[in-house]
Amino acid sequence: MIDRIEYQKYVSDNQPKSPMVRTLIAAFIVGGIICCIGEGIGDILKLIFKDMSEKDVATWESCIMIFLGSFFTALGLYDKLGHYAGGGSIIPITGFANSVTSPAMEYNREGVFFGICAKMFVIAGPIIVFGVTASFIVGFIGYFVV
Amino acid sequence: MRTFEIKSPVYIKSGFTVVGPKEGDGNFGDCFDIVLKDDLWCEKSYEKCESKMHRDAITGAIKKAGLKKEDIDILIGGDLLNELSSTSLAARNFPIAFLGLYNACSTFGESMIVGAMLISGGYANTVTCSTSSHFSSAERQYRFPLELGNQRPPTAQWTVTGAGCTVLSAEKPRLINEQVYDEDIIAIDENMNLDPKDVEKYKKSIEKQKGIINKDKSNIIEDNFHKEMNDYIKTNSHCVKVTGGTLGRVIDLGIDDEANMGAAMAPAACETILTHFKESGRDPSYYDGIFTGDLGRFGKETLQYLLSKEGITLPDYYMDTGASYFTPEQKTFQGGSGAGCVNTAFNGYILKRMQRGELRRVLIVPTGALLNKDTPLQKETIPGIAHAFTLESESFL
Amino acid sequence: MEIFLTYLKVFAVGGLVCLIGQILINKTKMSSARILVLYLLVGVVLEVTGAFEPMKQFAGSGVTIPIMGFGSNLAKGALEGVAEKGFMGAIAGGMSAVAAGLTTAIVCGFVFGLLSKSRSKKI
Repeated sequence: MIDRIEYQKYVSDNQPKSPMVRTLIAAFIVGGIICCIGEGIGDILKLIFKDMSEKDVATWESCIMIFLGSFFTALGLYDKLGHYAGGGSIIPITGFANSVTSPAMEYNREGVFFGICAKMFVIAGPIIVFGVTASFIVGFIGYFVV
Repeated sequence: MRTFEIKSPVYIKSGFTVVGPKEGDGNFGDCFDIVLKDDLWCEKSYEKCESKMHRDAITGAIKKAGLKKEDIDILIGGDLLNELSSTSLAARNFPIAFLGLYNACSTFGESMIVGAMLISGGYANTVTCSTSSHFSSAERQYRFPLELGNQRPPTAQWTVTGAGCTVLSAEKPRLINEQVYDEDIIAIDENMNLDPKDVEKYKKSIEKQKGIINKDKSNIIEDNFHKEMNDYIKTNSHCVKVTGGTLGRVIDLGIDDEANMGAAMAPAACETILTHFKESGRDPSYYDGIFTGDLGRFGKETLQYLLSKEGITLPDYYMDTGASYFTPEQKTFQGGSGAGCVNTAFNGYILKRMQRGELRRVLIVPTGALLNKDTPLQKETIPGIAHAFTLESESFL
Repeated sequence: MEIFLTYLKVFAVGGLVCLIGQILINKTKMSSARILVLYLLVGVVLEVTGAFEPMKQFAGSGVTIPIMGFGSNLAKGALEGVAEKGFMGAIAGGMSAVAAGLTTAIVCGFVFGLLSKSRSKKI
């Protein structure tokens, strides 16, 4: 039989690779469009609520984008978009909403308690844990530096 | 010595398959007994659907062989879910002894070998060998939630939604298969001990289910009895015997990518095939059909490369059921996998060709990747296994 | 014309951010959770080093809609909290800055999880 190292080299050399050009173009276009939708929502908010502060507009903008991400996940469209766009639909904040909503929908059949609520963060858990810990570390260092 | 011969004859009485809609559109689409229009089959979850497919594959195979439930001695089967849940939930509907097996996607090979050994040893007269897998239940167990918008890597395989059952017996099969109608499959089972209140509900869901079997694809629908790959009306010219096999060894060459199972399984298939040829003294030309389980397109190339290094060239008619299962337009990348893949391809396609005498000596090598969701996270590599069994068809006359 | 230029900048920068992520997916086979965590931490680092603010001025939603914006909000909140409330702000600042987004994500996830079930994939 073939040697272990030789076999691993054969596999990594010969296994099919993702088509670079097509996936990159799809990610670029879809990612750009999602960001433009976000910018558009911000502009509309500014038009409707003229006295809203810049910070509130940004907060509203991301909340609406998160809602849209969840909504299209619930309609079953976001996973189809993700199949074509890859990084283009994962990295925007809508991808975060998708990673919260999709396990909740998946474990719906196990009930509300140990299904939806318990399994909601199987994908998004690391994002929240890393984010909160990083912000604490930043604050902690900032407290002693400043 | 891992290669064995079945001394007293073990015949295949019948084979029955239930598959999902995507499989019905695949390359073996015309061969299946039941093709569903919807892969929930009126159930509340994909796990329940898989269990129901499994149950109905066994029911259908028993009916097709012209037997009753009471005629079966042992029910042998397995699936991919945790603790064989779909098989054991299906087995509660049968008053038959049950053996649950697990060898990942090669469970079908294992159950055929165990079944043939039991019959040959005189411990049983008739056994059923069944396996099942379901794309959606396997996806949530081994990978990610279905609605998560991630990209499947190009080495990924598509778990086949399907269940199949083969009836093995010491007696010769009938010349013509007993006809199975959709009513036989979805009838209320007395053994289920349903609450009288639930019977009404169940009847309603059965009414709905009638529309869920795809009339154009399924072979059990009367209008389709004339179809070429159908075996209900035609007389079988040959009967199929299980003649032997080679038990597999667990081989691990250090592949740690759970999305590339073909590469993890190919060395095991190579080792089993080499051992089989060495111990039986045969060469590839002895067989007129060589099939591997679900290596996928890349795994198939890898196997051919590995065997060519050992000086064995597989003939042109060598086929990987996983790689051939779906058409390229179906975007499954490497093709089908799962416990239902080789099973439905065998019962739907290979068995029917053998019964018509188109294939005389066949070697089937189902392969399996032995991983669960946690082992790759614990930095374990993925071991593979492959069992081989051989079949011969002999003329009835 | 000016508005067209703004959107062009948003599109180009947002697309570029996602394109880099796609290169990582293709080359390293990272799962989506790892990509998101990586980008979040990049956002935190950019905010702390002060590079995020000019980027935001230039591309607006092109950098705030990708999850980097979430990371930068966390870091910014923590630093602002320290300035206002001292050590307590270091603990509470980050979470309070992203509280609205996180609450929306959890509530939407819960409600849509109750309302709909996952469906099988066709492709």
